[in-house]
Amino acid sequence: MINTPAVPQTAVQQKKMTIAIIGNPNTGKSTLFNQLSGGHAHIGNFPGVTVEKKVGSVTWEGRPIDLVDLPGTYSLAPRSIDEMLAVDILLGRQKSVPRPDAIICIADASNLERNFYLFSQILDLSIPVVLVLNMCDLARSRGVIIDSQALSQKLNVPVICTEAHHGKGLKELKTAILKIEAGAAHLPLALFPNAFYSERDLLREKLQTPQEQAAPDFLVDRLLLDVGGYVESYFEHHAKNGLMDHLHEARSRLKAAGFAVPAMEARLRYGWSRELLRDVVQHPSDHRVTSSDKIDRWLTHRVFGFLFFFLLMFFVFQSVFTWAGPAMELIEAGQGLVDAAVESVISPGPLRSLLVDGVSAGVGGVLIFLPQIVILYFFIAVLEDSGYMARAAFIMDRLMRSLGLSGKSFIPLMSSFACAVPGIMATRVIENRHERLTTILVAPLMSCSARWPVYTLFIAAFIPNIAYLSIASSPVVTLQGMVLFAMSSIGALIAIPVAWFLKRVCFKGDVAPFVMELPGYKWPSPRNVIFRVYNRAKSFVVKAGTLIFMTSILIWAAGYFPGDHSEQFQIQNRIEANDASLESLNAQMAAADEDAPAALKELQNQQETLAAEQAVLNEKQNLVSSQLVENSFLGMAGHWIEPVVKPLGWDWKIGVGVIASFPAREVIISTLGTIYSLGGDISEDDEGLIGSVRAATWPDGRKVFNIPVAISIMVFFALCAQCAATLMVIRRETNSWFWPVVSFTYMTTLAYVGAFVSYQVGMLFI
Amino acid sequence: MTLNQIVKGQVARITQINGEDAISIRLMEMGLIDGEQIQLLGKAPLGDPLEFAVRGYRLSLRLNEAKCVEVEIV
Repeated sequence: MINTPAVPQTAVQQKKMTIAIIGNPNTGKSTLFNQLSGGHAHIGNFPGVTVEKKVGSVTWEGRPIDLVDLPGTYSLAPRSIDEMLAVDILLGRQKSVPRPDAIICIADASNLERNFYLFSQILDLSIPVVLVLNMCDLARSRGVIIDSQALSQKLNVPVICTEAHHGKGLKELKTAILKIEAGAAHLPLALFPNAFYSERDLLREKLQTPQEQAAPDFLVDRLLLDVGGYVESYFEHHAKNGLMDHLHEARSRLKAAGFAVPAMEARLRYGWSRELLRDVVQHPSDHRVTSSDKIDRWLTHRVFGFLFFFLLMFFVFQSVFTWAGPAMELIEAGQGLVDAAVESVISPGPLRSLLVDGVSAGVGGVLIFLPQIVILYFFIAVLEDSGYMARAAFIMDRLMRSLGLSGKSFIPLMSSFACAVPGIMATRVIENRHERLTTILVAPLMSCSARWPVYTLFIAAFIPNIAYLSIASSPVVTLQGMVLFAMSSIGALIAIPVAWFLKRVCFKGDVAPFVMELPGYKWPSPRNVIFRVYNRAKSFVVKAGTLIFMTSILIWAAGYFPGDHSEQFQIQNRIEANDASLESLNAQMAAADEDAPAALKELQNQQETLAAEQAVLNEKQNLVSSQLVENSFLGMAGHWIEPVVKPLGWDWKIGVGVIASFPAREVIISTLGTIYSLGGDISEDDEGLIGSVRAATWPDGRKVFNIPVAISIMVFFALCAQCAATLMVIRRETNSWFWPVVSFTYMTTLAYVGAFVSYQVGMLFI
Repeated sequence: MTLNQIVKGQVARITQINGEDAISIRLMEMGLIDGEQIQLLGKAPLGDPLEFAVRGYRLSLRLNEAKCVEVEIV
């Protein structure tokens, strides 16, 4: 392993080094980072951006080192606040990370020419660099032969060949890094003509105010070079008058001198890259058809490409949907065991209620998402590592563009049909910030599996079971099925105008180029896949889990306080005492002597009396629980919002159900169970619940529920954001409370309007 | 002619990238520079985007992005 044993106390404590790792996408950067940090990275967020902060702290030969993983990028010309982050870190302008003492630049050995574009920009930063040529084995097999020693001499930079997924070359890399002295500088590459550097100096003077430090060369370069880039737009808002005019004049002067920006930078850097690599790298002939190309002709084929894609997606979706089921049942069963253990130790009281209904339910509510996250992330990691992910985006791009999105949004949105939580986490593949936000905002509209219990209950209770088409006397098209289908599609249909609105109105003017590399196919590395799945799951539990848990506790408290629970606990105590007596009676009866019918008869009588008493107690218990909920803060809130939900055809009980189901949609079932005095342990196809819902009346005797009310509730749940986990994951992924608030507000508004319209229109037909 | 007009398998030489917007800058960063050769390898099932071979790697471009690239057939 990379981590060396603990430093002996006698060793001199050396100064901590910060090392940034940067490279193009698809170069194996994450794998290298995981290998170097031994998988123990601290994951957090940088303020104000959606980029994840990954820092691995290691000690190499007694030297403490912080490895900072920067997002994969083709260029250091920032176009958005997220892309600016890497530049800020490298220039030491990001407060939470010290300026790197060295940079590891990782390049794909098969494709140095393009990877060296970014590398040449990094060389301009004046920070010591170690160049890593990754996937050397793959490059060799593709006929690319690199003389890394000659390359190192030409560049005056250490060059290390690695196969990060096998852990090869890491020792050499470590040695090269340890040779770098803290604070050492590297001469910038400086490829540009003198005219450019004199314009840069002029521009810097314009930028500088007496109080401020001079802007770093690299930043002034970016201002001059990046037409319409982030640095330009930053100074447009922050700099004093005249700067922009000066900038435009400077660019015109450069153009007149034959060095037009932005074309100049690409031409010079690529020219440098080709010239440098000319005698160092041997390539196969230019237009050779590789085996990866041959696979591509099939996998992007007009017919087979689509067929393969849809079969694969069907398989992934089915797996997330069905394989997660048993694991989720296991988690629920485990939760049941824990609850039973708590109940056997602690007698009924506030502590037990907190532990069982608050803490255990909260932990269960977090863990229940893990199977889906792990399974989906397993597939995503395999698809990404093999190179197919880019093809999936390639195939789906045309279709997704009609929604104003790109091909990269397809898999996150498809996954959201199983569960929006892993779906939103999967939006990481989308580099463009606005496109990613649009996908995150519409993902919760996809009909996830948590909505099914709600649909099942209300369809079974109110939608007549009419078959329109039967084949061999088994119904094929039924009204219930059609309603279920309509409810499952309504969210996706609404997502189309929502995405359109977000792209055209809120995120206007941001053109997302779909210039995407299609990496060569390769076998996914199991180690890499496991690392990624583990990191995702851990990040969910630690970062989003805590918030989901707290929401659960909050809702528990609202349903518990301020009522007096002593009667409930007394009844509970008696029920449990009776349970114990019944059990011992059963044991006695089983052991009773067959030859003593009188004794047996006596036992049977006792059992019947007890059972009857138990039934009465249970009923009383359910009634008391229902009253307690009605008088709790939750019940008060339900009464309080009744005027608001009345236009939807709802009474306060449905209002309570909706508020209580904020942590998760399916909670409405158990809440309705409690309110209708049936107890909370109830399922959506429970005959008693269906009966109670059908029989419920307003105070004046009218029935609460009819078909329009049932439809109104289902439409509400199809469109609302009643899922704390989703909102917390949005917070986590966008690193801001703003976006979950936006999601909640717009979805609740949509849900309300949808429910209102379906109820009011439905009532016209009744 | 522009890059969206070449047929599958054809090799073209880039003569110019039109525009100074985010798309053209990104194209240049990816190595699409005048004088460079580029080959159309295939299309997505719905005819858009396109897959190209350039500088030894495979690049996907949408039709409207390919339109920004002026080429001549080699």
